[in-house]
Amino acid sequence: MHVTIKCFATLSRFTPPDAEAFAITPGETVADLVKRLGIPSADLKLVFINGAHVELDAPLADGDRVGLFPAVGGG
Amino acid sequence: MPLSLTLDENIRALSRPDARSDGGQCRVLPYFAVLDLARSLGRGKAKPRSKAMLNVELAALELGIIPERYLRNSTTYSFAEQIRMLKSRVAMVGLGGLGGHALEILARSGVGSICAADGDEFQPSNLNRQLLCTRRSLNGYKAAAAAARVHLINPAVDFEPVAAFLDEGLMERFLMGASLAVDALGGLRDRPALLRQAAKAGIPLVTAAVAGQAGYVATVLPGAKGPSDIFGADSEAAENTLGTPAPAVATAAALMTAEVLNILCGREPRLAGAMLVFDLEGMSFERVSL
Repeated sequence: MHVTIKCFATLSRFTPPDAEAFAITPGETVADLVKRLGIPSADLKLVFINGAHVELDAPLADGDRVGLFPAVGGG
Repeated sequence: MPLSLTLDENIRALSRPDARSDGGQCRVLPYFAVLDLARSLGRGKAKPRSKAMLNVELAALELGIIPERYLRNSTTYSFAEQIRMLKSRVAMVGLGGLGGHALEILARSGVGSICAADGDEFQPSNLNRQLLCTRRSLNGYKAAAAAARVHLINPAVDFEPVAAFLDEGLMERFLMGASLAVDALGGLRDRPALLRQAAKAGIPLVTAAVAGQAGYVATVLPGAKGPSDIFGADSEAAENTLGTPAPAVATAAALMTAEVLNILCGREPRLAGAMLVFDLEGMSFERVSL
């Protein structure tokens, strides 16, 4: 099972080298993934899978596109 | 022009046929004819008043004649939609990076009434992205530079500058009479208050923010969840580390105005309940439903 991962803005430094096909295990949630990537929970504000906002306990499925977004407020 | 003719007759007499960009034909009221007619409505005043110019433009559109300055709008926005824009009032909070570019586009497009608030003054670090920040406007009020710019671009726009930072109570008053609110604020702190007040006023809020090459644009309808509900007011914001370069700021502002004009035209808000998230480093755009 693989997902693609897109880390935005300040989170981009946590992008794994295999972000286009990141291996996950069955039953793995967004929270598990975020922990494996080493992203501090305080820095992550918005998670979306396949274009829909999800909570951290959302399960991952093969082929999911995962987006990770920090707080952004600049103008 | 002959005073014996009515405004409509004058508009018809001064209009000329023109080729539209879609290959069709339409009648156009030349730019200088709008000024002349507005001047005559102003009873001999040397400078045409903005209200008189707006009235001439509206009268022309009602006759199916496009004022020349909106000719290149006319295949994207129908005459009826252009009339809706000219009769709309937008309340914009923030005249920095997002606000400056957004104001430029809204004024050129022909939003008839715009009030915009920012208590800030320009500083040299604004020069990288803020359209209204020039060597000349440095240290001056952003609201003053905005008023000068709107007058230079489109004097038919009734522009009301407010050189003040708005607390939530002032936001409530500021939004009165507006058909739409634009959140062009910098930072996270004041955004939740503006979202609450737009909801209270019963008007859509179009909002955007950037950090580095990334950013988002969203529309929040009254009572719906918005980005500021997700990001909060007190989080550490990514732009403090990544800054705010011009391409991301101008992109976010342009996307915001496209949505604003859609809504003012009476079209369905395309980003209601959603965020359009972009990353110009990877050139990716994604729509995220909230």
